[in-house]
Amino acid sequence: MSSEPAHTYETATARIEEIIRRLDSGEAGLRETLDLLREGRGLVELCAAELDEVGRGLQELRLDELVARLESGERAAS
Amino acid sequence: MSTRPDGIPGSLLKGPFAVGSYARMLQEELRKRARVQLFGEVWGFRAARARVYFELRDGEGALPCSMWRADFDALGLGPLADGAQVVVAGGPSYYPGSRTSSPHFAFDVTAVRLAGEGDLLAQLDRLRKALDAEGLLTPQKRLARPALPRTIGVVCAERGKARDDVLAGLRRRGWAGRVVWAFAPVQDRHAAPAIARALADLAAVGGVDVIVVARGGGSLADLFCFCDEILCRTVALLPVPVIASVGHHTDRTLLDDVAAVSCSTPTHAAEAAVPLDCGRARAALADAAARLDAHGRRAVVDRARALARLSRAPAQHLDRQRVALRQSLRELRAAGRRGLAARRDRTARHALVLARKGAAEQAQAARAATLERLRLALDAHDPARTLERGYALVQDRDGGVVTSARAARDAGDVRLRFGDAAVDATIRDA
Repeated sequence: MSSEPAHTYETATARIEEIIRRLDSGEAGLRETLDLLREGRGLVELCAAELDEVGRGLQELRLDELVARLESGERAAS
Repeated sequence: MSTRPDGIPGSLLKGPFAVGSYARMLQEELRKRARVQLFGEVWGFRAARARVYFELRDGEGALPCSMWRADFDALGLGPLADGAQVVVAGGPSYYPGSRTSSPHFAFDVTAVRLAGEGDLLAQLDRLRKALDAEGLLTPQKRLARPALPRTIGVVCAERGKARDDVLAGLRRRGWAGRVVWAFAPVQDRHAAPAIARALADLAAVGGVDVIVVARGGGSLADLFCFCDEILCRTVALLPVPVIASVGHHTDRTLLDDVAAVSCSTPTHAAEAAVPLDCGRARAALADAAARLDAHGRRAVVDRARALARLSRAPAQHLDRQRVALRQSLRELRAAGRRGLAARRDRTARHALVLARKGAAEQAQAARAATLERLRLALDAHDPARTLERGYALVQDRDGGVVTSARAARDAGDVRLRFGDAAVDATIRDA
C-alpha cells in the first residue's frame, strides 16, 4: 500500500475539485464513490484547518524579541 | 518703507541693513564671480514650466542647478536620469526673493554636455551582470511559494507608511495569520547590512513561509542600499522566498532582480505573499463540502431506490405484458372490421364499372345499325348503281349532262355513259 502524499493547500483543493468532477460524472461505482467521499472529506478538513490558522486574528511578533527568546532558550538548554 | 531699528547692543558689526538691499547686494556679488564649467552626476532632475532643476553631485559635495527650460529643451537631451554624468557651464546666482516669494541659490546653467553614464549606474550594471553570470538572479524564482502562508516575515522601517500598507494588503486578502516584523533602517549606509541580517534571522528562526521587504518610493540614490552586493547575495541564497517592494517600477534596484517577486508597492507585495483570497477560499471550500455531502446522500439513497425498483420489476413486467396483449387483441378486432368494410366497398365499385361497360356496348351496336342504314340510302342514290341497272347518262362535249331531246339535238355529238364504259354518239333527227 502506498502512503497518501502530504498535501499542501493548493494540492488539496486541486484534488477536491478532481474528486467532485469524478463524482459529478456519475461513472464511479459505489465502492469508488465511498472511497472518494472519504478522501474528499479528509481534504476539506485539512483545508479548513489551514484556513483556520490564518483566520483566528493577526498575531504580530518582533524578530528581535523572537531571536532573544530563542537565544535564551539555547543558553538554558546548554 | 520701514524705519531702521536700533542694532544689537554691544555688537561690533555694521548695520542693521534692510534685508532686501543686502540680498540684492549678495546677488550682485555672486554675479561678479567668474563663469566656469563643472562636472558631476545629475540627481533629482525635474522640469518646471519655465526652468529645469537638478542637483550636481560628486563624492565631495553638491550644487543646486537650474537652467532656462527653453535653453535646455533646445539641446534635445530629454530628461536627465539620476546618475547621468554631465559637464555644465554657468555661474552662481542668487535670487533675492521678496516679501511674498522665497529666495534661493542655484548654479545658473547656460550649457550642458552629457559626459557618459554616471559611475553609480555603471557600477550597478556591472554588479547586475556579475550576479547574473553567477546564476544568482534565478534561485529565488525557483522557490515554491505557498498559496496560504501561516507566517510572513516583513522587513521594513519601524515607523513608516510601508508597514501600514503591508497590513492593508494582508487585510485585503482576508489573511490574519502570524507576522514577524524585522524592523531595519531602509535608507542610510547602515541599511544594507541591517536588512541582510534581518533576512538571515527571519529565515533562521523557522516557520517563516515568505518574507516581504518593503519601503516606500524614493530616488535611486535613496534606494541605493537595496543594490548592495552582500545584501543581494544573501537574498539570492536564502531558502525562503523574498518579495521585494522597495521602489517604483522606474527605479529598479538589484534586490528587485534577485528576489522571487518584485512588486511596485508594499500593498501589492503583501497580496503577492498571500496569493489566495481567504474569504473566497472559505466560500469555495464550503461549496465543495456541500457538494461532497450531496454526493454522499445520493450515493446511498439513489442506489436504495434502484434496488427497490429492481425488486418490483417481475410483477411490473407481467402487468406490462398483459396490457400489451389486450392492446394487440383490440387492434386485431378493429383490423377485421376494417377489412370487411373495405371488401364491400370494392364489390360495389366493380358492379358499377360493369353496368357502365354494358351500356356502352349497346350504344355501339345502335350506332353501327344507323350507319348501315345511311349507307344503304346513300347507295340508292349513287348514279353508278342506276347505270348498272340499264340506264345511260348523256353528256355533251364539255361533260355537261344532257337531260332533254332538244338539248341532245342542239349538242349533236354526245357521249353515252353506261354502267361499264362510255361511247360517243351523233344525234340524227329523223
